[in-house]
Amino acid sequence: MTQIGLNRSTAVGVKSPRRRTRRKEIPYSQRVQGRNFLWVYAFLAPFLVLYIGFTLWPLLATVIYSFFDWNGSTPLTDFVGLENYITIARDQSFWLSFWNTLVFAALNTAIKLPLSLFIAILLTRRWMWFKRIFRTVFFAPLVIPVAMAGLIFTFLMNPAFGAINDAVEQFGLVERPINFLGADLALLSLTLVSVWQIFGQYMIYWMAALQNVPEELYEAASIDGATEWQKLVHVTIPIIRPVAIIILFLSFVNALKVFGLVVAMTGGGPGQTTYVVSYFIYSQAFQSLPFRYGYASAAAVLFGITVLIAVSMQGIFVRRASGEGGSGS
Amino acid sequence: MTTMLAGWLRPGRYFRRNVMIVTALSVVSFVWVYPFLWSIFSAFKSQREMFGAGAALLPEDWVFSNFPRAWEEANFSGYFANTVLYAVAATVIVLIATAMCGYVLARYRFPGRNLIYVTILATLFVPIASVILPQFNLIKALGLLNTREGVILALSGGGGLYVLLFTSFFSTIPEEIFDSAKIDGADFGQQFRLALPLAKPIIGTVVIFQFMSTWNEFNVPLIFTLSSPELRNLAVGMYAFQGEHATDWTGFAAGTVISIVPVLLVFFLFQGYFVRGLQGAVKG
Repeated sequence: MTQIGLNRSTAVGVKSPRRRTRRKEIPYSQRVQGRNFLWVYAFLAPFLVLYIGFTLWPLLATVIYSFFDWNGSTPLTDFVGLENYITIARDQSFWLSFWNTLVFAALNTAIKLPLSLFIAILLTRRWMWFKRIFRTVFFAPLVIPVAMAGLIFTFLMNPAFGAINDAVEQFGLVERPINFLGADLALLSLTLVSVWQIFGQYMIYWMAALQNVPEELYEAASIDGATEWQKLVHVTIPIIRPVAIIILFLSFVNALKVFGLVVAMTGGGPGQTTYVVSYFIYSQAFQSLPFRYGYASAAAVLFGITVLIAVSMQGIFVRRASGEGGSGS
Repeated sequence: MTTMLAGWLRPGRYFRRNVMIVTALSVVSFVWVYPFLWSIFSAFKSQREMFGAGAALLPEDWVFSNFPRAWEEANFSGYFANTVLYAVAATVIVLIATAMCGYVLARYRFPGRNLIYVTILATLFVPIASVILPQFNLIKALGLLNTREGVILALSGGGGLYVLLFTSFFSTIPEEIFDSAKIDGADFGQQFRLALPLAKPIIGTVVIFQFMSTWNEFNVPLIFTLSSPELRNLAVGMYAFQGEHATDWTGFAAGTVISIVPVLLVFFLFQGYFVRGLQGAVKG
C-alpha cells in the first residue's frame, strides 16, 4: 500500500502505470538467470544485512527475550515462560504508560493530520503566494533535535519566566500563569510540542498525496460554483483517500514511539502523568537495578501486539468503508 | 516566478483571498518560528537578561561569549564532529544500500523478491515502541559498544520506506532506456549507473530525511554511548549539558544554534531536488 501511495507521488511528473500493470512491467527476460544472480544478491546484500540486523532481528529478539528473566549480561538461560507477561499485566505503571502513549498518539494524530492537510492544500494551490517561504517555515522545526526542542519548550513554558506565559499575560488572556508542564496539562503540552516539531513532515506527505489531484479538477469545480469545502469533500478527499490511510497509520505508529521529548521535557512526570511505553522500557532496561531486559521486552511485545490488533481492526473497517481493496504489492 | 509577478501586478480573482490567507499564515508562521528566533537571540543574551526577558526577543546588550563557552568548555566542538560523522556516514550507507536494493526489486524477478518486498512493507507498520535492547545487544556482541562504528551501524539499519520509494521510482523508468545500453554491452553495474542519476529527486529526499533524522537522533547515541561521553552527538550532548549546567541557558541556546545551522544548510542545498521529488507535477 505504501508503495502506491507515497511513491507514485514521488515519481517526478512521470505518470505511474496503474497498480495492476506494474507487476507485468518487469519483462519476462528480466527473470534473473546465470551470472545476474550474483549481481542481484550482491545488490540486495548491504540493505538486507543491515535491515535484518537492526530491524528484523530486534523485533524477533524482543519476543524471545520476553520469555526470559534476564538482566542483559548473563547468558540467556532463565526461561520463565509467561511470567513476565503475568507480572506486567499487574503492573500499574505499565498500564498507565500504555494509556498515556495511546492518548498521546491519538491526540497527536487527530491534531496534526487535519491541520497539516489544510496547510498542504493551501501551499499546493497554484494561485497561492509565497509558497516556498511558508513551506520552509513549517518544515523548519524538523531540523531541531527532539531533545533540544524539548528543552527549549521547557523554558518557554515555564510559569515563572517563560515566554508563552509572558505573552498571554500581556494580552490579558489569563490572570495567573499557566503551568503547562503541571500534572493536568503536561501530556497535552507534550502532544502540542510534538505536533509543532513533526508537522512539516506530514505537510510534505500530504503535498505528495495532493499531487494526484489535478489542478484542472479544482478549476472545473470552481466553474461549477463549488465552494472550497465542497471541493475538499468531493474532489480532494476521494482522490487522496488511499494515501491518506497510509499517512494515518504512519502517523499513529510513529507517534507511539515518542521518547526523546518525554526524556527532555518531563522525565515521565509530574508523578507519572507523561510516563509512556518507550520510557517505561528504557527505565526498566537501563535505569533499574538489576536491569530487567526480559521484563522490558515483554512490555514492548504486549504493547505492540495490542496496538497491532487495534490498528488492523481499524484498518479492516476503514478499508471496508472506503471500498478500497488495494492489497499493496 | 513570472506567474507570481503577474499575480502581483494584476489583482485577479484570487487577490483578496491571497491577502487574507497570507496575512493569517504570516501570524501563524511567526508563532511557528518563534522558538527558533528565541533560541537564536537568547544565544546573544546575558544570563540575567535571559531570565528576565519574558517573550521579548531582541537582547538589550549583545553578548558574544556564549558561543566560545559552549564550543570549548561544554565540548560542543567534539559533539559537533561526532554528529557530522554519524550523520554523513549513516546517510551515505543508507542511500547506497536502499538505492541498490530498490533498483533490483524494481527491475528483476528472482526468488524471494515478493518476500522481501512484503516484509519491508509490513515492518513499517509494526508498532513496537522500542527495539533498542536487541540492537544494543547486537552491537555489544559485535564488540562495538561505545565505539563510533557501533553508533553508525545502528543508525544505518532502517530505511525500509526509502527502498519502497526507490523501487517505485525505478519501476517507472521505461525499459527501452536499458535496451540500447544492453546492445552496447552494458553489464549489470553499468545499467545501474545509467539509472541512478535519473533518481535524483528520490536521492534528494532520502538524503534530507536520513540526514535530518540521524543528525537529530537521540535514542541510539544516548544508549550506545552511556559510558563514553566523548562519543555523544549534539542531541545527547546538549541534553547532558543541560543536566550538568542546569542554569547555563545561554550556553545551551548557543549550542542549539550551532547544531541547527548545518541541517538548515543541507536542507537549502538539497531543497530543489527535495521539493521537486515530493511535489512533482505541482509547479511552484
